[in-house]
Amino acid sequence: MISATTMAGIGRLAGAAAISLLALAAAQAQPAAAPAPAATMAPVEPEEPFTHKLPEWSPHWGFVRGGWENGGTRIWNGDTGKMVGLVSTGRWSDLALDPKRRFIYVSESIWTKVNRGTRQDMISVYDPVNMALVTEIPLPGRLIIGTMKNNFVISDDGKTGFVYDFSPASSVIVVDLEKRKVGQVVELPGCASLVPVTGIGFSALCSDGTIATVAVGPKTSTVSHSQPFFKAAEDGVFDFFTYDRTKGEIVTLTYTGLLRTVKLGAAPTIGDAWSIQAAAGVRPGDTRPLDINWFPGGRAATTLHRATGMLYVLMHRGEYWTQKADGEEIWVVNMATRKVVKRVPLKKPIGNIEVTQDAKPLIFLSGDGGLVQVMDAATYEIKHDIERGGGGMIVVPDVD
Amino acid sequence: MSGSLGGKGMKRFDIDGLGEKLLRKFAGSSSRRSFLTKLGATIVAAPAFPLLPVSRASAATKDRSPEAKTAFARNAQTKDDTKCDYWRYCAIDGSLCSCCGGGMSSCPPGAEPSPVSWVGTCINPDDGKAYLIAYRDCCGKSACGQCGCDNTDRETQLYMPQLNNNVIWCFGTKSMEYHCSTAVLVGKAS
Repeated sequence: MISATTMAGIGRLAGAAAISLLALAAAQAQPAAAPAPAATMAPVEPEEPFTHKLPEWSPHWGFVRGGWENGGTRIWNGDTGKMVGLVSTGRWSDLALDPKRRFIYVSESIWTKVNRGTRQDMISVYDPVNMALVTEIPLPGRLIIGTMKNNFVISDDGKTGFVYDFSPASSVIVVDLEKRKVGQVVELPGCASLVPVTGIGFSALCSDGTIATVAVGPKTSTVSHSQPFFKAAEDGVFDFFTYDRTKGEIVTLTYTGLLRTVKLGAAPTIGDAWSIQAAAGVRPGDTRPLDINWFPGGRAATTLHRATGMLYVLMHRGEYWTQKADGEEIWVVNMATRKVVKRVPLKKPIGNIEVTQDAKPLIFLSGDGGLVQVMDAATYEIKHDIERGGGGMIVVPDVD
Repeated sequence: MSGSLGGKGMKRFDIDGLGEKLLRKFAGSSSRRSFLTKLGATIVAAPAFPLLPVSRASAATKDRSPEAKTAFARNAQTKDDTKCDYWRYCAIDGSLCSCCGGGMSSCPPGAEPSPVSWVGTCINPDDGKAYLIAYRDCCGKSACGQCGCDNTDRETQLYMPQLNNNVIWCFGTKSMEYHCSTAVLVGKAS
């Protein structure tokens, strides 16, 4: 029951509202009091909300993952410094882009009740225009580690995905991305960090200092190993090696700074090792304590521009066993001449680097605190400083 | 769930065979070869295991002069286990459980200790000796987010997971959600 007092209150409110509306109407009836040239006036027409589509992909986009506390992957336009979208990547996920830019793939693990319940591992498939979820491909497992550059890779033709699993037995899940289902699981003890091998299957680095090559058959696979070429415990090869699909090669780098090219295939060809420090006229790196030198380091500290053969490496000063330290300089290595052609000082520590693959490349950098920087790879000028832009691993679209 | 991994599609595996008991046994008396033999019988048939806790021990050379120590070992302290430079944390990566309501070797309330771990060999500055440290994650709760440390003495890459500090070592727990990391002293490394 509504009391008389309440009714009186409502009456007062209604009266006040009527007065306000009248005042508003009076104000609107005097346009001369608020002159606003039409050219600068903010839109006032009624609107319908809508959702944007992604514009046509640019080779100058950088997909930059957030840090530990914020795992989403922001897409930055390196030309404008503006954000164009976000890929939902939780903390326990890896992002991979279809080489032909037809899909965005997220290999991820979640639980039905957030931090408990049934674990679910899957590849989530998104379309590249609406960013709508196309489907989910269930996986029998995957390694939970945050994100790593080479734990989820895709074959050059985009037809097959390779997902690293560790349970704690090491294996690789081969996924048919066309049929959108798991093909087979290849046991691969002592090996990790994957790279596709065209016409064969994939390869991986191993703890015995070899590279394993897995020839993937319709139902089963065969595993072979190269001769050992690095010492995993003493001077390991970083697992963020770079892959050049046009040459079928990877460039590996060890903790001390030894560079090496490996030609992939049924029987990989292991190139000779050479020191990045020596290539810059600096004393080669050493494992001894108290030996202060320039060392490579970071989360994903190397990137290769395929067309020019320029390798960009994050380097820092310190002692051995500082392999995760953020970079203080970028060393630009001409892989053909084996010379460091430029050393670029960084104003802030950087842990991740990725170069775009077009003819006028940009370098994306990300570091602690979520800073993203976009650098012109020709002039080394910083084009954009983006606060809270990411901080984690960077992926750029492939080019044809 | 000690003794089996459980979980969708995961392989059954003798977790305890890889766990702290094994490390303790090894730290006490096993030779490298016998340790590897036992481990090899338990784990998958890896092509080579030159890399298990043993190599950590050998990597921490017996020469404990300042010239032979890593930068971390030269600057480590033994008083405050909530700081990243506490001596046992020479290869830890994650939130220190001692900052999250737990301790150096104990989980915070409600978190479940993992039966397996990655390992490090750290030098105690008080006696100059090297010790095997099992970095056991506490699991099943949201990330603690306090006292984040990332030390990398003799830390290796993912193809050598037992010495890699990025892996979430919550195998065998009810949920693999990561909460924080402990540093359990296993025994002398030499």
